[in-house]
Amino acid sequence: MQTMKRLLAATAILAASVVAGIPVQAQQPFAAVGAQPPITILVNSSPWYAGFEKAVELYEKQTGNKVKLDVTPYGGMLEKARNAVRGARSPYDLINLDTQWTIEFYEGGFLSPLKDVDAAFDLPKEVLSYGDSGYWNADKRWRTPQGGKLMAWPPNGNVLLYVYREDLLKAAGIAPPKTWEDVLASCAKLQDPGKMYGMVMRGERGNGIRFDWMYFMLGKGATVVRDPAAGDYTVTINSPQARAALDLYLDVAKRCGPPNAGALGQGDLIQLISTGKAAQGMVVSAAWSNFDDANKSAVVGKIAAVAVPQPAGGKPAALLGNWNMAIPKNIPDAQKQAAIAFSRWFLTSGAQRVYAEAGAIPVREDTFRSDLAQNPKFRWMPAYLEMQKYATQELGYAEGAQVEQILGLRLNQALIGELSSGKALNLAAKEIEELFKKSGRRTGALPPLPE
Amino acid sequence: MHILNRWFKHWSLLPAVLLFLLLTIYPMANLVRMSVSTITFAGGAAHWAWTPLANLQLLTNDAVLGAAALNTAIFVVVSVAIEMALGLALALLVARLSRGKGLARTVMVLPILVPAVAIGSMWKLMYNYDFGVFNQALTAIGFGPVNWLGSTSVALLAVILVDIWHWTPFVFLILFAAVEGVPTDVIEAARIDGATPRQITWRIIIPLLKPALAVALIFRSILAFKTFDEVFLLTSGGPGTSTELVSLHLYKVFFEQNQLGYGAMLSLAIIIAIVAFLLVSRRALTLRAMA
Repeated sequence: MQTMKRLLAATAILAASVVAGIPVQAQQPFAAVGAQPPITILVNSSPWYAGFEKAVELYEKQTGNKVKLDVTPYGGMLEKARNAVRGARSPYDLINLDTQWTIEFYEGGFLSPLKDVDAAFDLPKEVLSYGDSGYWNADKRWRTPQGGKLMAWPPNGNVLLYVYREDLLKAAGIAPPKTWEDVLASCAKLQDPGKMYGMVMRGERGNGIRFDWMYFMLGKGATVVRDPAAGDYTVTINSPQARAALDLYLDVAKRCGPPNAGALGQGDLIQLISTGKAAQGMVVSAAWSNFDDANKSAVVGKIAAVAVPQPAGGKPAALLGNWNMAIPKNIPDAQKQAAIAFSRWFLTSGAQRVYAEAGAIPVREDTFRSDLAQNPKFRWMPAYLEMQKYATQELGYAEGAQVEQILGLRLNQALIGELSSGKALNLAAKEIEELFKKSGRRTGALPPLPE
Repeated sequence: MHILNRWFKHWSLLPAVLLFLLLTIYPMANLVRMSVSTITFAGGAAHWAWTPLANLQLLTNDAVLGAAALNTAIFVVVSVAIEMALGLALALLVARLSRGKGLARTVMVLPILVPAVAIGSMWKLMYNYDFGVFNQALTAIGFGPVNWLGSTSVALLAVILVDIWHWTPFVFLILFAAVEGVPTDVIEAARIDGATPRQITWRIIIPLLKPALAVALIFRSILAFKTFDEVFLLTSGGPGTSTELVSLHLYKVFFEQNQLGYGAMLSLAIIIAIVAFLLVSRRALTLRAMA
């Protein structure tokens, strides 16, 4: 019924625009895309999938075009996408790629630049940039719109949100933290081992610890490499700033988290927060829906979100973990056109609203600034939008996956006490430098930190 | 006619030989070719560069491989030894049952039927530090919780425990069939000669089970070398490198890091290690039989 009303409203607006002679493109909440052949989309089963499915249903209803979804767990996405683009003909017309995987696909020449498919296609100006991960400059081997081609559009953009139990913090007289030092002070009051953890974040080896630690790293002004956009791959991960960031991360993990901090993954964090065992946590924005779902959560309505704290004297930082929807090169032109048609429709304000209402994270700024943000259900939106102001992409080079493995291991070893922070960063720096040397990058290293 | 028959005999093998070449020799040859190449992708196609020493160098410089090899050796020795002992004990015990043997056998084999993903999820929940049944039980009887998957000294043991639960039934099945096949007249004769049940078990049944024990040992060792799903689902190799096994490391190199050439080299090294292990075991078993 709601959808029907929305459809009628959309039609009325469209008709009024035409009559008034206003440019239709600027006004319509949904794009008119005409009849298209059926398409198949490779999409991950994720907390935001329900929203994507709802939007696709509406697309089919509005346009009469058919969309088949191959819904795949995260662990199987990369291989399915690789097999699709490396074969003679991709079974998918749109493939969803984690931001970290995009470089492999861009550099491999497996995707069709979107403007090559339709010269008129562009990202609406309201769509958040997500660190320009959809652009690829082949000469610079870098994701940038400067000299780069638009290769993909973002169906989802995750940053971490700092979530906290509003009731607990209020009762303890603690204001939502702005710095990590505030977090440590709050943990002194909230931490009650076995019963309540002051603050939880990921510490498991691999992507988990690498991603969460980088918020500290960026906040302290440290970097992995000096200036990869300019081709300077001098490894800077063992700088004094990076060490300070790691020491701060370790301090927070040990003083605020559980004894198994080195094994905590995203699922564990969601579990600890939604069962009321953790007072605060740093979780991916897509996880929000878990906390307000009475079937999954014991803390419905009690969780609030703010931007992730920064180190005292540091700067605000956020790391992007978005997805990118791309069109494989190895499909017929008619399929590419159909894929572009869906893409254009999906990025309209009307589609994004439906997408958000069904629990997904929209990618248009105007959706975040709409009346939705006033709805308590979407009370995470201001924090999300705030973090987009300084969110960046990291490891945006071909060796990114290997660098992540190196950092994910060495940081985890520091957390579990196998290595000192200095030794962990020195080792990581040495291994990353070796990697860049092997790839023929212009690289170098800082003097080692005291261990 | 005779010549025709002889020729036909040889030519009739051709489809099987072709199938063998296609399914076994070609993939192996391709793996060897990959292992001496660096494979990159550009312009929508794969590009192979002949770099015979580069992957070998990566193999010798791999910072994680040493820990993975050591963990794998510990994993194989400990898990297979316990599975063999438990499987044998259970087979002897169930074989002695006069009633309910079929039911006992069915219940015993259930863990092999559970999908690996379900096993991973189930045990991960049971090992959960805050909510897991093990820690709740330990706390209830006055002990502190154990950091099953987050402690470097316990995590590998926790993974081995899951493997033992999962694969002991496999050993049990092989040995149970063998125990059931032991000639009853031999046992009867021993009993008449005054042998105790303990003597019958140790001096008659177990020596007769040697061929089945050897098969179970070799099969389980090969499978244990290749263990992936349990460790991937429970710990992904962490914390640190404490549960990193060679198969998991291979997965990361091949699929997460997309290093196809080095991944192939690593695969070959693992195959060679398994074959060497098989040859040594076979030789040891032959020498023991001769002795």
